[in-house]
Amino acid sequence: MPAAPLDQLRSLVGTSHVLTGVELSPYVVDGRTPEAAVFPGTLDEVRAVVEIAAGAGLPIIPWGGGTAASVGHPPAAAALVLGLRRLDRVLEHEPGDLTATAQAGMTMASLQAALGRGGQWLSLEAPQPERATLGGVIATNASGPRRHLYGTARDLVIGMTVVTGEGAVVRGGGKVVKNVAGYDLPKLFVGSYGTLGVIVEITVKLRPRPEDERFVAVRFERLADVGIAVRAVMASDLIPTSIDVLDGDAARVRALRTAAPTLVVGFDGLAEQVQWQCVELERMTAALGGRDAVPLAHDAWLAMTAAGRDAFGTPAAVMRLVMLPAHVTDAMAAGAEAAKARGLACAWTAHAGVGVATAALFSPRQTDVEPIAATLEAWRASAHASGGHATLEWAPLAVKARVPVWDDPGAAGRVMRRIKEQLDPKNVLNPGRFLAGI
Amino acid sequence: MVPLAEPRKRALRRELAAIVGAGGVLSDPDELLVYESDGLTLFRALADFVVFPTSAEQVSAVVKLANREELPFVARGAGTGLSGGCLPAEGGIVLSLMRMNRVLEVDYDNQLAIVEPGLVNLHLSWAVGPSGYYYAPDPSSQQACTIGGNIANNSGGPHTLKYGVTTNHVLGLEVVLPDGEIVWLGGRTREAAGYDLAGVFVGSEGTFGIATKIAVRILKKPQAVKTVLAVFDEIERASAAVSAIIARGLVPAAVEMIDHLTIQAVEDAFGCGYPRDAAAALLVEVDGLAAGIEAQAARVVEACRDAGAREVRVARDEAERALLWKGRKSAFGAYGRLSPAYMVMDGVIPRTRLPHVLRRVNEIVAAHGLRVGNVFHAGDGNLHPNILYDPRVPGEETRVLEAGAEIMRLCAEVGGSISGEHGIGLEKTDFMPFIFSPADLAFMQRLKDAFNPTGRCNPGKIFPTRKTCGEAGPVAYRPHPIEEKGLAQRF
Repeated sequence: MPAAPLDQLRSLVGTSHVLTGVELSPYVVDGRTPEAAVFPGTLDEVRAVVEIAAGAGLPIIPWGGGTAASVGHPPAAAALVLGLRRLDRVLEHEPGDLTATAQAGMTMASLQAALGRGGQWLSLEAPQPERATLGGVIATNASGPRRHLYGTARDLVIGMTVVTGEGAVVRGGGKVVKNVAGYDLPKLFVGSYGTLGVIVEITVKLRPRPEDERFVAVRFERLADVGIAVRAVMASDLIPTSIDVLDGDAARVRALRTAAPTLVVGFDGLAEQVQWQCVELERMTAALGGRDAVPLAHDAWLAMTAAGRDAFGTPAAVMRLVMLPAHVTDAMAAGAEAAKARGLACAWTAHAGVGVATAALFSPRQTDVEPIAATLEAWRASAHASGGHATLEWAPLAVKARVPVWDDPGAAGRVMRRIKEQLDPKNVLNPGRFLAGI
Repeated sequence: MVPLAEPRKRALRRELAAIVGAGGVLSDPDELLVYESDGLTLFRALADFVVFPTSAEQVSAVVKLANREELPFVARGAGTGLSGGCLPAEGGIVLSLMRMNRVLEVDYDNQLAIVEPGLVNLHLSWAVGPSGYYYAPDPSSQQACTIGGNIANNSGGPHTLKYGVTTNHVLGLEVVLPDGEIVWLGGRTREAAGYDLAGVFVGSEGTFGIATKIAVRILKKPQAVKTVLAVFDEIERASAAVSAIIARGLVPAAVEMIDHLTIQAVEDAFGCGYPRDAAAALLVEVDGLAAGIEAQAARVVEACRDAGAREVRVARDEAERALLWKGRKSAFGAYGRLSPAYMVMDGVIPRTRLPHVLRRVNEIVAAHGLRVGNVFHAGDGNLHPNILYDPRVPGEETRVLEAGAEIMRLCAEVGGSISGEHGIGLEKTDFMPFIFSPADLAFMQRLKDAFNPTGRCNPGKIFPTRKTCGEAGPVAYRPHPIEEKGLAQRF
């Protein structure tokens, strides 16, 4: 990196907020080391950093907590990491309006703690809440079990302030819960992986903290029976916050200690509502082969969301599959067969009610890419067969070289490219990491 | 806009008829009049043609023809919009989607339906109702408005407080892009690969293309519903009660407010059981599990009593509940009893600012020598001040527009928005700078250019225009064309 832009960055944000050399090791992704990492402290500094980078022709990698940094194609060479961690405050929280505005670099854990003091929460969960930031969760469209009832970032973000690749500060949406003025820009930035703008401030809808909440685990002999139970729960009068399925291998996680396919259903609300639903769930599932319905501790539940990844040590790859809810348990069973046939192991977890599964693949010979790639392709094909898609969330470069990280979005991909060309004409924002060549 | 020369018009008519059939094209000025307005009769604009396609391929062919001829085009549903969004602002072709009105598929296992854009909103709930499901977004015009029109405006309704607006229920759409290409944005699954194109399409007011198939979520009907009517002697107490309900940790399905003037109109028209002497009434609905529903209703009742309600009662049965809702949903129509014309406003504020804003709205309208009725989604802070006036009185309409602009400015000042559900359309283009900076608008314009580079797809909407001196402002009020023909009352 030329000295001039580096000096400019240092004088802008202070020398201690610009990292170079060996300090950059946390920011190495897929073997690529950025030129520098810079941590602006204000919206205006973010804008100025983008201006300097764009002026010097440096690609910009927006960076929150880094928990999803492995998702995507390898980052651009000679790039500048723009870290948001110093922008970590709640700017506004009006409990009576059930809205809050926070800076993007705030971790999910500290945001929830702050909102909790007002008796409220943001109904959006992500793995590693101590590290994951609000901005990162939104940029990657991360979600957790309770999305079943409460939706994802697209349903919760009502306003956003971003810095564009040309250094303009743009606000979309607003601070009110209902708003149709102008285009719905927040939707565009949710899940855009930092390719359209650097998200700096976010306004979200909140919910009151429920009086009571419980997660119940029910074991089954056969995965197919879990699928039948999921359908029965969905067709019932129950209003679960989450409907998750773990296959036998994922269910061996410490919190569950079983090797049986397991259904985990969450409920919240008034105590009598939660109580009635737990009883009803036990009754329904018992009739379908479920046994040992046990309530789970809440922290145990959070640990389980990464259950699949930890099933057999270090995975060879992790894939996220989106499909129609009714196909989930079939896809899990077929996916396990596809791995077994190639001598590999796997573990699956799924938010079954919304059709989102995560599968971790394990190989005794990690360097033997062929069976790994073939299994991943088979998994992706099963998502396609149900009108869905798959993302290779984590894999070594050798596997990424064989298996596309993203799906080809087809004709819609052309629209996406036109949007990228219009909104980031100099292509400085996270170039080459996303799908369709974006 | 220059009218089309007759020979060219005849030739185009033949080409359009070849695409959609001879019975699917209107070009006679008398017939076109019906399509001159939407629910906001202040604005009128005449198309050269109205066509009635029956498939995505026909829509695409019409769009390609319009592009070849460099004619603007705009999609239209039932025409119940309230911001002029479906008007052919610059002539050209109106594509009415009313013949594409089928439910193509219902998938109960995956809780979704695929519908055509001309399907009437309520008809979807009718179709899936016998199986215990419904479509949640419920604009007050749901007996007439179409799902396609709801997509354009990202329509809301009373129950969006708990269940969200249209965009929260759309999974994906097949659209004809402004260049005529047919493409799916999103699909049937909960997430699509890449940018959330379905998310930005919904609410783009017909400027990103024309939806031809829509995949929507359908929800299980709740086991139980309780509707509470709270009557107040002071509107400020009713406003305070809204925040009090939320502060108790309740998320009602709906919190609607109806003020004194509106109660008069509704009771004159329908006799729904609202006390005539009330300053304001709140209609609060809780729904969900039968377990706990009484407790939730009791908390609502308590919150309203503590906020100073004079009378609070829970609807005894479905009949009473239906009557109360009829009063709410028919309120706009009922204003006709009080005044020859009214202007429906739509703005949003943080709900904690309700007491201040309602007081200011009443002051603003009174200062212009006019009357206002308020009936609105109080739980969302989505105001609908309806300014009553007589278009025959010279100058009155100008005062209505002035008061309207002041109310929009007020919404913006308290951190709100200039539209919660009716859209910007033609009506509010010049208010956009109240809440968006030039950089915000420039960014939106680029997004528009990505979908609609020629601007031919629904021109003149959303973005501020600079009116030159010679250009006319809004024309004087006239009845809707279908009223003039004696076909319908104003909705």
